[in-house]
Amino acid sequence: MKKRFISSVQIILQLALATVGLTGQSYPGKPQIIRCRSLEKETFSCWWKPGSDGGLPNNYTLFYSKDSEEKIYECPDYLTSGPNSCYFDKNHTNPWTTYIITVMATNEIGSNSSDPQHVDVTSIVQPDAPVNLSLETNTSANLSYLWAKWSPPPLADASSNSHVYHYELRLKPEEKEEWETVSVGMQTHYEVGSLKAGVKYVVQVRCMLDLGEWSEWSSERSIQIPKERLPPEKPVIIKCRSPEKETFTCWWKPASDGGLLTKHTLLYSKEGEEKVYECPDYKTAGPNSCYFDKKHTSFWTIYNITVRATNEMGSNVSDPHYVDVTYIVQPDPPVNITLELKKSIKRKPYLVLTWSPPPLADVRSGWLTLEYELRLKPEEGEEWETIFVGQQTQYKMFSLNPGKRYIVQIHCKPDHHGLWSEWSPEMYIEIPTDFRVKDMVVWIIVGVLSSLICLIMSWIMIMKGYRMMAFILPPVPGPKIKGIDTHLLETGKSEELLSALGCHGFPPTSDCEELLIEYLEVEDSEDQQLMPSHDTPSKNTKIILKETDSDSGRGSCDSPSLLPVKCRESRSLPSTLQTQDVRAKEKKGGKGSWDTRCTTSEQKALPCESIKTCTWLAAQIPSNQAAMFAYHSTVEAFKITLNTTNVNTSPVLVGNEENHQSLYPIAETVYDDLEKISEMEYSKTDQTTVQVRQNEHSDKSPFLNPKLMDYVEVHKVRQDEEPTLLLKHKENSGKTKKCTVPGTSKEYTKVSTVVDHHILVLLPDQRSQNTPVSQEPVAETSQNPQQSQADKNTSYSTTTPSDSRRDTSGSDYMDPSSFMPSFK
Amino acid sequence: CHTSGMLTPNGKEYAQKIPREELTHVILKLLQAWKEPLSHFNQHIEHHQELPDDSLSKAKQISNMVHELKTGVEKIWNSTAQCSDTSVVFCSIIFKICCMCSTSLSISNEANMMSDSDFIHCFRRDSNKVQSYLKILKCRIMPENSC
Repeated sequence: MKKRFISSVQIILQLALATVGLTGQSYPGKPQIIRCRSLEKETFSCWWKPGSDGGLPNNYTLFYSKDSEEKIYECPDYLTSGPNSCYFDKNHTNPWTTYIITVMATNEIGSNSSDPQHVDVTSIVQPDAPVNLSLETNTSANLSYLWAKWSPPPLADASSNSHVYHYELRLKPEEKEEWETVSVGMQTHYEVGSLKAGVKYVVQVRCMLDLGEWSEWSSERSIQIPKERLPPEKPVIIKCRSPEKETFTCWWKPASDGGLLTKHTLLYSKEGEEKVYECPDYKTAGPNSCYFDKKHTSFWTIYNITVRATNEMGSNVSDPHYVDVTYIVQPDPPVNITLELKKSIKRKPYLVLTWSPPPLADVRSGWLTLEYELRLKPEEGEEWETIFVGQQTQYKMFSLNPGKRYIVQIHCKPDHHGLWSEWSPEMYIEIPTDFRVKDMVVWIIVGVLSSLICLIMSWIMIMKGYRMMAFILPPVPGPKIKGIDTHLLETGKSEELLSALGCHGFPPTSDCEELLIEYLEVEDSEDQQLMPSHDTPSKNTKIILKETDSDSGRGSCDSPSLLPVKCRESRSLPSTLQTQDVRAKEKKGGKGSWDTRCTTSEQKALPCESIKTCTWLAAQIPSNQAAMFAYHSTVEAFKITLNTTNVNTSPVLVGNEENHQSLYPIAETVYDDLEKISEMEYSKTDQTTVQVRQNEHSDKSPFLNPKLMDYVEVHKVRQDEEPTLLLKHKENSGKTKKCTVPGTSKEYTKVSTVVDHHILVLLPDQRSQNTPVSQEPVAETSQNPQQSQADKNTSYSTTTPSDSRRDTSGSDYMDPSSFMPSFK
Repeated sequence: CHTSGMLTPNGKEYAQKIPREELTHVILKLLQAWKEPLSHFNQHIEHHQELPDDSLSKAKQISNMVHELKTGVEKIWNSTAQCSDTSVVFCSIIFKICCMCSTSLSISNEANMMSDSDFIHCFRRDSNKVQSYLKILKCRIMPENSC
């Protein structure tokens, strides 16, 4: 009934709250009983959690009822267990009943109550954790035990009821995760064994009453298990060194101690002695070292050195170390390293590096001799270049590049047994780069200039290449004869060509055949130049006298140059006449005239000689030409040959400015059958006309002597029978050689020129009153065309020569070139 | 070592303290003491042939050098009054002894396994002694160059 009442009230309250809730205030939220717990089964407490307060202060009341009763009690004690709790003390606690507990929250508007909680005291028993946990270690006989002690949880009322708790302990090494749990029983202490030495352990305990739950674990306690106490391990002697061969030091590595204090002692004995000494000085050289000063250092004796480590548990001795001081010398690095830049003669700078030995080493007395070594590398480089220097304390470096930075280091060692010192601190070297820049500039300028010059040169070459080539290698001129068309030559129309040359009747007609002479070698020489060619000359249009210098050295007329094409010197050329003469002499075929000519004794003699010589010359004439000479036709006879390729039109004679121009009438006057000579032909093409020159020298027939000849005087023109022109030597004015001409009259006329190849233009002779002989139509050959020309030319002569050119060359002779307008 | 009984200056100060003549005398004594054992040793080695050939030749070299050294030091001993030749002699001596020391070192490195290693070890040490004494002597007599 009461229940119903309560619940109905609650409902009403809730309704009221709900209606009032709209205004922001409502009845409180439902509280909640969190838990109830009993510490020792005699009392218990309950705690609740309030609900929402609804904006107004709440009051909480706890109501409880026992299981079988209807009565509702209120909580006897709200305070003891703290806020929102209810403490049921001994009087109100009945372990065998079930409590039904409800908490009600009330505020001005309404109230709310929690769900009822059934509580059975016996089932909610959980003690507090034990307290005052203390730990101790005990090491006895190398075993470590952990001794743990604690107190049971305190109770609110220190009743004499000693509750019996069961305890449980757990421990673990600090770093580990897993607990090791030990059930202790009802004691409040415990001893743990078999713990690892040197490990820190963490311990907790908890307790439980015989019924109920275990309490929480107590707070942690930790303890360090001490390490095992052992005698120390063996120490190790690291090294012994002497910096200056007077003292030395030994270092050792200490033994690992078991946490116990370890003391080291160094003991040594000398070779041959039994006595053991202890290190004189542990301090000077630092920890774990022993310093032997001068007094204690002996050389050339072996030290037996050991180190002993001692602690509580015992001691340990290192292995013996045998040392002879002379072999353990390791000096300090050299000091006072200085650099000096010096300039050598070639102005290339070099570096002098100097240093001094370490200060402790006594080099001055010779006791310690040091050798040095230095190493060098460019700053950015990887590899060191090591240079052994020896015992000197300076070094010259030549091989450094200016502008680069180098690092250099030095170290030393005793010259014999011993060790290298440490490297000295790094030293930086840098050489200034002025030179470099200047050199570069110079080279750049040189390079630019030379490239410009090359460009210019190549440009010039390209532009004037052809001309240069022409300059260097002049082209070979082709022959050019005035009046001759090369095309004609090619086509082989000899007649036209010959006519252009003024050559008539070439090749010789049958008339001439009889006059053809077969040439024999006049000279008894193997001169191959003499070619017996007798045939009709081939169609060579020119008589070319080649200047083949096959001179065998004979003869006064030694070289073909005697056949001067140019006739510079009035050398006589082998006249065709002469050759003919010669040949005529030799041969007998139908050469009456020839013979006659030469029959004059005098003439014979001399000319023969001269002929001889000149035959040689003649011999130069190639065969064809020689054949030509066979012609008695006036025209052919005097073809002048000579040749050469030179196209200069100046006839040889023409070219000859000297006094010795000679025109040759060809002394074909000599010929009987020959028509007449006086034909001179000029081959225009030739510069080198063969001139039938006559040698003016004495007593030679003008025709015969090939020597110098300047002119020929016309001796006589014979007009009656056969117009013949007699020519006369100039010098030998007294003499008249006329071979054939029987004419006696002596009239001298100088021949001025020859026109048209068959007309002799004569000069009016000033000296003599000879009538100028007009030209002779010499060409009374069978060739007709010449006649007309002869006629034509007759009118010529008188006038022309007289006026002009008299004085041209200082002689009375004219330059025929002026009279050759008709020549092409 | 058979020369262990000899009384030789045991450090720099001692070597510098004793007069020159005495130092020279000590050197000579040492060299003299080694003459015979070396020849014995050479014969011994030839028979045993435990060392490689170049060591044999080195051993021979050493005995020659010792002899030369002795001669040289005797010169010095006899002419300590005159300083003219001494520099030349000294340099040659010191050169020789340097060669000797290095040779003996190389031999001793190889000869560690030998039963004669003690012998070689003793020789090496004594040659070092002689070298040091000579250097000190040289710098005392001629302090100018490289001292």
